[in-house]
Parts: sequence; structure tokens; C-alpha cells
Amino acid sequence: MLETSAEKPLSVRVISEAIGDYISKLGAVWIEGELSEVTVRPGAPMVFMRLRDTSADMSLSIMCHKSVLDSVEPLPQNARVVMHSKVSWYSKNGSLSMSVKEIRQVGVGELLARLELLKSNFASEGLFDIDRKKALPFLPKKVGLICGRNSDAEKDVVENAKRRWPAVEFEIREVAVQGSAAVVEVSAALRELDADPDVDVIIITRGGGSFEDLLPFSDESLVRLVSESTTPIVSAIGHEKDSPLLDLVADYRASTPTDAGKRVVPDVAEELTKIRNLQDRAARHITNYIDFELHRLENIRSRPILKDPMTIVSIRKDVLDSLSSRSLRSIDGRVALAQEELTNLRTQVRTLSPQATLDRGYAVVLTRDGSIVRKASSLKAGEKIAIRVAQGVVAATTDGIAPDEN
Amino acid sequence: MTEKKISYEAARDELAEVVSQLEGGQASLEESLALWERGESLAKICQEWLDGAKAKLDAVKKDA
Repeated sequence: MLETSAEKPLSVRVISEAIGDYISKLGAVWIEGELSEVTVRPGAPMVFMRLRDTSADMSLSIMCHKSVLDSVEPLPQNARVVMHSKVSWYSKNGSLSMSVKEIRQVGVGELLARLELLKSNFASEGLFDIDRKKALPFLPKKVGLICGRNSDAEKDVVENAKRRWPAVEFEIREVAVQGSAAVVEVSAALRELDADPDVDVIIITRGGGSFEDLLPFSDESLVRLVSESTTPIVSAIGHEKDSPLLDLVADYRASTPTDAGKRVVPDVAEELTKIRNLQDRAARHITNYIDFELHRLENIRSRPILKDPMTIVSIRKDVLDSLSSRSLRSIDGRVALAQEELTNLRTQVRTLSPQATLDRGYAVVLTRDGSIVRKASSLKAGEKIAIRVAQGVVAATTDGIAPDEN
Repeated sequence: MTEKKISYEAARDELAEVVSQLEGGQASLEESLALWERGESLAKICQEWLDGAKAKLDAVKKDA
């Protein structure tokens, strides 16, 4: 530390040289970044360019000799490069410059190798584990969507979701989806949507592109951010064959933006039909139960004892009638029997009565006081007597006793 | 005084029991008449339950 004060200042030269010393301690370094804004002026020996950090919003202004740039194969836009550069302090006028001695493009092979390493690191940390993956909500309050500006991917997601559920609500964040700004902007959008309690699922999507274009979606900081988010994340990056690391850490990997749009909402028409079917089944079940019971009740009510309860009485009346007629028959029988007995007795009496004797021609002589005459000598001549014959009575007077011829 | 109406199943089961006793013929005249009256009353309760249920379903179906 240099000791200075308002009373004891140091000169420009001393300070300038101090800065120069400080900076020279950095030495020559290899830096990796994305090359942009390469300005080549015809005839000029020096080329100015900007080297951007691949994840953060930072850059360096770099200067190199044309020959250095020429020694590298023609570089594509925003090429990822490593450069060997030195920071120099030009003490004459106090300016900082970074000069490049060598530039090399980071080849796809190199990038792929780095990705593989990152992937296995993440895997061993368990970030890709299946039980880490959250289930997508059935009916999200709002769907978060992180996509490129005016992109087909955005249209595909929204249209397909709306077709299944017209009332779906989206929270859309249009961001850079390639280049050095991508990681920063996607991360910021993700943090914002994850914090929103109404957003129940977030789709991160972009269309197809080159390997370099999709590199931001394998960025370490972005992948870690996704693994830590509390909202379920759907990844729909590039085409089917592309597999950025985001696909592996996301809770669901959609094959296309269309697939993502379909996956986050239910087919409402289908669900309503299912509900309708369940309603019908329930209604049918209860209707069947009631009909069954109605039949059962009808059957019970048709039983003779209920349909014609008079049988309670008529059964007993029949018994009564039967008993009555039996008793009647019984009496009749007894009377008939008695009648027969009477007839017999009468015949007997008849047989035993004196009339029969009288009918045979005999007569009974009776005195005036009604007593029967057996002895002729009991009568006096001129006594009035009655003679009962078979039919009738003769009034007579006795003449006297007649000589007995026997 | 209104007593709480017995459930459909209770009424139905008791009705079956009553009919069975009546058909058995063992009851006296007085008992038979009493049973018959009870049977009629139970049948009426059952009918009311089922008719009421049907009406409820039809009302919902109309709204649906």
C-alpha cells in the first residue's frame, strides 16, 4: 500500500508506474470466452474485438495483430475461443490494453468432452436422479414459459396448450436463447417465475440450432438453478436428437415444444367426458337399485294375502259354514232317526191295540160308567149298556141273560 | 306427535316378515287383522320412499 495524503501526494509518474507494476503481476493468461464485435479495418494492422463471458454479463475489450486472427481458421459468429493474452499498461497515457498472442477455437470435440465431464459430475451428485423429479401438476393455475422472442417454439407451446384447455393462463418471459446473454436472461426469468406462487409449472423451450447455439442450456450454473427450483420444470430444447444437460435435470423432458404444451394441461374435453361418464354410471346404478326395489315391493304387494286380505275373513267363514252344515246334517240325521223310531213304535202300538181285535169282529160291552162287562150275570135285564164295535158304539138295553150255548 | 319415519330397508324387511306370518296361518283372527293393517302401513311407507327417490332423480336429470 502506498502512503499518500492531500499534503503528501505522489506524482503522476509514480502512480502510473505503480499501476503498471500491479497489472504486470497478472502476467499472461489463457482466457476462454465468446468472440464478438470483431472489427477489421482494411489496411490497419490491429484488430479490435470483444471477448464475452459465456455465463455472466461481462466482457473484455481485446486487441490483437491481424496476423494472430489470420492464423486461426475462419471463425463463426460468437465463436468460443481461448486466447493467450497479456494485460498491458501503457504508462505514457495511462491506458489499459489487452493484447492477444494466440487465439484458438475451442473445438466441438473439446466442448463435448467438457460437457461429458460436467454430466458425470452432475450425475454422481444425484441431480439427474428419478426420485428428484417432481410430478407435473394436473391443472396448473398458471404456466410459466421461457422462450425466444417471436419464436415458433412459443407459438407451438401456447397453441397446443390452449387447444386442450382453452382457459389456460401463461406467464411468458421472452429472452435471449443463444449467445452469451442467454444464460443470464434465462436464469433471471427462471428465478422470477419460480418465486411466483401462481406459476405451477415452467416450460423452458427453444427451437433447433447448432451445438454452440444450444450450449447455454448445458451451462453449469443454469443446470444447478433448475435442480434447485421448487416449481416443476419442463425442458423442450431443440430437436429430438439434441440433449442439452437441461433435459436431464428437468422434471420432464418434452421432445418438442408441441409436446410440452400438451403435457402441462389436461385435455379438458376428455376430462369432462370422463366426468360425464362417471355421472351417468352413478345415475344408472341408483336408478337400477330403485327399479329393483320397486319390483320387489310390487311382488310383495301382489301376494294374495295383501292383494285380497278378505281371505283372512273368508277362510274362517268357510270353516264356519262347513261346521254349520255338518251340524245341520247331524241334527237332520238325529231327527230322521227319531222319526223312524216313532213310526216303529206307532206300528207296534197299532199292532197291540184292541182295534185289531174289534176289526176281527169282536165287540166290547161297556156299562154306563164305562167299565167293561165280562160276566153276563153282572147285568140286569133292562140295563142300559154301550157296545163298542169295530166302528162306532151301539147304545143298547139288555133283555136278560141268554142261555149259554158253550 | 310425529315419529321419525323408519328407513326403507327396515320397512321392507318388516313387511316381508308380516306377510310371512300372515301366510303361515297360525295367527288368530284378531292378530291377523292387526298384521294386515301393519303390512298395509309398511307398504305405504316403502312406496313413499321409492317414489320420493325417483322424483329426486328425475328432477336432477331434467337439470343436467
